[in-house]
Amino acid sequence: MRKYWEISKTYMKAQLVWRADVIFNMFFTISKILFAYLLWGIIFRDKELVGTFTFHGMLSYYIVSSFLSQLEMSEGISSEIHDRLRNGTFSKYLVIPAGIERYFMAMELGVVLFYLIFDFMAAAVWVFVFRIRFVFAGEWQVIACALVMTVLGMVFMVQLNYFLGILTLRFEGIGTFLMIKNNLVSLVTGSIVPLALFPEFVVSILRLLPFYYVTYLPAMLLTGKCGEEAVRGIVIIGGWCVLMQLVIRAAWKKYFTAYDGAGI
Amino acid sequence: MNRTNKNIISTSGLIKTYRRYKKPEGMRGSIASLFHREYEEKTAVNRIDLAVQAGEFVGLIGPNGAGKTTLIKMLTGIIAPTAGAIDVLGYYPNDLKNAFKKQYAVVMGQKSQLFFELTVNDTLRLFKEIYEISEDVFQENKNYFVHLFGVADLMDVQVRTLSLGERMKMELIVALLHNPAILFLDEPTIGLDAIASRQIRSFLREINEKKGTTIILTSHYVEDIKTLCRRTVVVNHGVKIYDGATDELFERYQKNKRIIVAFDNPLGTVALKTGSAKLVVDEPYKKEYEVPRQNASGLLAELMGHEPKDITIEEEEIGIVVERIYQEGGGDCHA
Repeated sequence: MRKYWEISKTYMKAQLVWRADVIFNMFFTISKILFAYLLWGIIFRDKELVGTFTFHGMLSYYIVSSFLSQLEMSEGISSEIHDRLRNGTFSKYLVIPAGIERYFMAMELGVVLFYLIFDFMAAAVWVFVFRIRFVFAGEWQVIACALVMTVLGMVFMVQLNYFLGILTLRFEGIGTFLMIKNNLVSLVTGSIVPLALFPEFVVSILRLLPFYYVTYLPAMLLTGKCGEEAVRGIVIIGGWCVLMQLVIRAAWKKYFTAYDGAGI
Repeated sequence: MNRTNKNIISTSGLIKTYRRYKKPEGMRGSIASLFHREYEEKTAVNRIDLAVQAGEFVGLIGPNGAGKTTLIKMLTGIIAPTAGAIDVLGYYPNDLKNAFKKQYAVVMGQKSQLFFELTVNDTLRLFKEIYEISEDVFQENKNYFVHLFGVADLMDVQVRTLSLGERMKMELIVALLHNPAILFLDEPTIGLDAIASRQIRSFLREINEKKGTTIILTSHYVEDIKTLCRRTVVVNHGVKIYDGATDELFERYQKNKRIIVAFDNPLGTVALKTGSAKLVVDEPYKKEYEVPRQNASGLLAELMGHEPKDITIEEEEIGIVVERIYQEGGGDCHA
């Protein structure tokens, strides 16, 4: 485990090199929430409730949701694998005595921990400055479920992007797969069309997909909503993680040995 | 450390074929290829038998596309062979077992293990953990190599600010940190100036002699092979065409020398008495001759009579040597 922790630390150190990145990331976290504050302020000017949300409930959801979305940065993994396979430098990972998938997990952890610290500070400053009455789940069991779900959701996204990356071994280009994944994620997380506008049976189907549990449900749980979905959510996202691991193993076994290596 | 008289690399009938897509020329060909694709097979490595003993320093040479890098990739497990047997340190490399990977290192001239944003010390610390090296061994090896390479003042500098030669030294330190039994080097001196190349060669010799590390080196530079490798394997079109003593290889197949002479004053074509010398470049201030090795001293003596400003003597390039072996049917002199 020490080797993977060292990988995480190395990537954390690599993030710290670029001071402008650190400052701009904090700045944009704050500015994003500032725009949300102004927007929702206008919408809530004449109403107490929108859907089931109060103004502070909505802002709490928005802060948690954007905080979690910003932490989910696994997309870089698929492009890293794809680019390295295409430009012939993927062997960097093959020749060292570390599991390649675990290397990417550790790499992601390093980056996430780095942004966790800075994004958390930015969010805390925001809550303090604008005196938001933060709406938070009251039951510790729900909070625990949300945290476990967040971790599983991120693990799943790393697995998915790793899987899409290694598809380069077979298909050489993975742009179409990434586009399908991105659209699916946008749809299921409600960023294209609010989930509430879908018929109930469509939402039921979406609930079977993993993306629902990556940021949307953990954010809802942490802001005190959908508590009844907590346990079922962990089971579903956990099941997806297991399934994805089996798919990764099968794909690696099939495509790596058959790969002619022209790109590595 | 002394590792001798034991085959740590052995391959038999090793083959690697690539399948590549062929497209007819032009837009019509591009559209047609949407519906029907043609592929051709290219044999990059063809029935190569190789046995390397512990402690050897073996040169692997051949022209571009000869199959050298493909062979190294198979020996390190990066790619799987299409057919044939392969055994490196008792492992089938493409299984990519961690226990196997801990026993070798590979340095490819144009591929880096360093983190460009970080310092070399940061990368070394990471590799200490990845290779599970104890703190004592880590410190001992780090100090040894830092001293050997003379890079103590560069260890806390961001890697991206290092020169190519300095970076290659760092790549070697990272690769050697875990005391690998085998070091694979693919063009380690490519792009380096004469001084940096000479330093790298001197380090490699010391590592081979003092640490007993088996080294497999591919290079396009005659100097690298001649000064370092007692044994050389020559491959061309994926086939091994020579496997034997390096001295004998160059004695038999490096037949000519190139002599370049510069003059202060313009000079017409010089009528030479030395037999077999061929004038390759004839300019007023510069003449270039290709001459059989045994006649080189005679030609030099003759040219001295024309008061030259500067004389350079060059060995024949590896490509010419390989071509000659190929034309003459090659030889396998390795016992």
